[in-house]
Amino acid sequence: MHKVFAIIRREFVERVRQRWFWIMALLGPVFFGAVFLLPSLLMGKSSLKHIAIVDGSTTGIGKAVALQLDTTRVRSVLVAPGPHVADSLLQAVGAKQLDGFLLVSDLLPDSGQAEYRASNVSSFTTIGELESALQRVASGVRLQREGVNPAAIARARIHVDLKTTKISGGKTTGESAAQSFSLAYFMGIILYMAILLYGINVMSSVLEEKTTRIVEVLVSSVKPFQLMLGKVIGVGAVSLFQFLIWGLAGRWVFRYRHALGADAPGADAGLFTMPHVTLDTAVVFLCYFIGGFMLYSAMFAAVGAMSSNEQEARQAQQPVSMLLVLSFISMFAMLNDPGSTFAVTLSLIPFTSPIAMPVRWAAGNLPVSQVVLSLAILAASIVAITWVAARIYRVGILMTGKRPNPKELLRWIRTA
Amino acid sequence: MVSPAVSLDHLTKRFAGHLAVDGLSLQVPPGTIFGLLGPNGAGKSTSIRMLMHIHVPDEGTVRLFGEDGNGRDHSARIGYLPEERGLYPKMRVLDVLVFLAQMKGVERRKARTLALQWLERLGLSDWRMRKVNELSKGMQQKVQVISTLLHEPDLLVLDEPFSGLDPVNAQVLKDTVLDLRKKGKTILLSTHIMEQAEQLCDGVCIIARGRKLVDGTLAEVKRTHGGRHVHVAFDGAAGDAERLFADPRLVKKKESTGQYAEVELAPGADAQDILKGLVSSGARLAKFELAEPSLNKIFVDLVGPEAATAAAHPEVARA
Repeated sequence: MHKVFAIIRREFVERVRQRWFWIMALLGPVFFGAVFLLPSLLMGKSSLKHIAIVDGSTTGIGKAVALQLDTTRVRSVLVAPGPHVADSLLQAVGAKQLDGFLLVSDLLPDSGQAEYRASNVSSFTTIGELESALQRVASGVRLQREGVNPAAIARARIHVDLKTTKISGGKTTGESAAQSFSLAYFMGIILYMAILLYGINVMSSVLEEKTTRIVEVLVSSVKPFQLMLGKVIGVGAVSLFQFLIWGLAGRWVFRYRHALGADAPGADAGLFTMPHVTLDTAVVFLCYFIGGFMLYSAMFAAVGAMSSNEQEARQAQQPVSMLLVLSFISMFAMLNDPGSTFAVTLSLIPFTSPIAMPVRWAAGNLPVSQVVLSLAILAASIVAITWVAARIYRVGILMTGKRPNPKELLRWIRTA
Repeated sequence: MVSPAVSLDHLTKRFAGHLAVDGLSLQVPPGTIFGLLGPNGAGKSTSIRMLMHIHVPDEGTVRLFGEDGNGRDHSARIGYLPEERGLYPKMRVLDVLVFLAQMKGVERRKARTLALQWLERLGLSDWRMRKVNELSKGMQQKVQVISTLLHEPDLLVLDEPFSGLDPVNAQVLKDTVLDLRKKGKTILLSTHIMEQAEQLCDGVCIIARGRKLVDGTLAEVKRTHGGRHVHVAFDGAAGDAERLFADPRLVKKKESTGQYAEVELAPGADAQDILKGLVSSGARLAKFELAEPSLNKIFVDLVGPEAATAAAHPEVARA
């Protein structure tokens, strides 16, 4: 046990000392922070827009629109139509004196037509505000035409305001759906990346000991299984340490999100709102990460043991990585319908469950019994796969020369 | 009677139908330097790996220090230098030494103290915090030798210890080995270079094609397998030497280069008869010496053509 601990310690210390560990530790939160904050920063920081309204109507529609826009972040000036107005406005936009100009005419209430020309027509907030202002004016005029008196329309306007409240009420539920979606999505990405990255780390570590032949000295002192176990636990501990750093950084970003500008107006319009991670979600995540890592790193260790150089190993690890890629790709279909037979099946199969089950857990309420069943299958598979992998490992680490074919591999497993 | 430090009993190992080691038995007395000799591919490394439990023997048993159990069971008391050497290239020198000592069951702090002492002794103190791959090859060899000796083993198992060593490190190792024997430690080394074995070993075992050809103390082996030899050097006139050397009653085998001849006496022949015959035939002698055969000669005589045909490291090719 003393020796296994020394192996764990070596794997851990040597990795944490490496530069790439700290690069990952730093880049991780920067990356996640960017994904969460960038949309809000871009949307929240949208400044006041200055536009001109060219009123070609006979009933003062332009003025009505300008009035509506006063309550938004769009400032407008009224311009009378003329032969050279469009040209001079174009120049003003070109010189960045104006953000754009809106062309309204009697067509607005008649057929709902208006035109907005601007340097940037992809700003959803501005377009949205313009559209709703035009909408209100158009419907107001049409209602008046139907004989509704202006007082009723004023009341209707209040109603429209109420309707806005309703929309933001709908947003509250929409927001939590977006939150659980982004949580599921990010858990899937992190699980996929971490299992793949650290699994391959185990493989390289096996390969290093094999190619430097130091493994001969090691297995004359410890059992190959102890060596493999120490390696898997050591590398796993590094990844948990990495998560700890990320988790703390994530909490920090979450706590100071106001200072970082994530709560600016319009910030929550983004799909990737900062998810709230509950304790049971964290536990599920960690259980499946540890399980998935153990399962895959045992396979990666076997792959490392049966290869004799990096190139061979890269080739031989493809089937193992494919299993992971498969679960990662399926994640998108599962997010669509976390309760489907497809999703349930994947969350029970041990090779896909480490990604599938946490994703389903984050996406929606899940019966605990399913999680327990899936974990039990995963645990049993870890035992079985580790048994097979350890046998391949034991024979493989001392072999040089060509990679074994499946038949030889079976013989290794039988006779080791 | 003192029990042998190493006792192998009918060790056999097959690789995919090829017999790498065939019923090898040998005993290494404690406190001696013992050479396992043989051409490349004779099964030396495989035998040593079975002793270290890196390979599990198909048949036969290993006993160490008079107790049951293989090299891994007794790993704390054994220092093993494999034929193909290597260290963790990206680890610091001191860390590698401490880690490898820990694998031998040495406690961390003690390992550190011992490692620093050894680095000091071999002039590597300044390099202790450097990465292994920043060291020259010679320095890496020293570090590897330290890692083999750090935990103060009672038995050293060295597989082709001098191959690839530069002359300085070869001398360091040789001195260390002789020093350790003085301290009562046992050393089992394999080599295919007979001159080294002859200089160092108290006992030898010659194997070829996985089978033992001869073993015993160096003196025994020379006595029983070397025959008796006479070295003759002429000072100009060789007299009737050729006719004399051709007499089967006197001479079993001879190799001559005109002015110099090595002669193996026939059983029962007396070297003095050859001397008398040479002098009376008018030969002028510069040298007449009763010589021990070299280990190399015994080796070549015993292994013969096998030395040339044995494949190098068949277990690698057949793995």
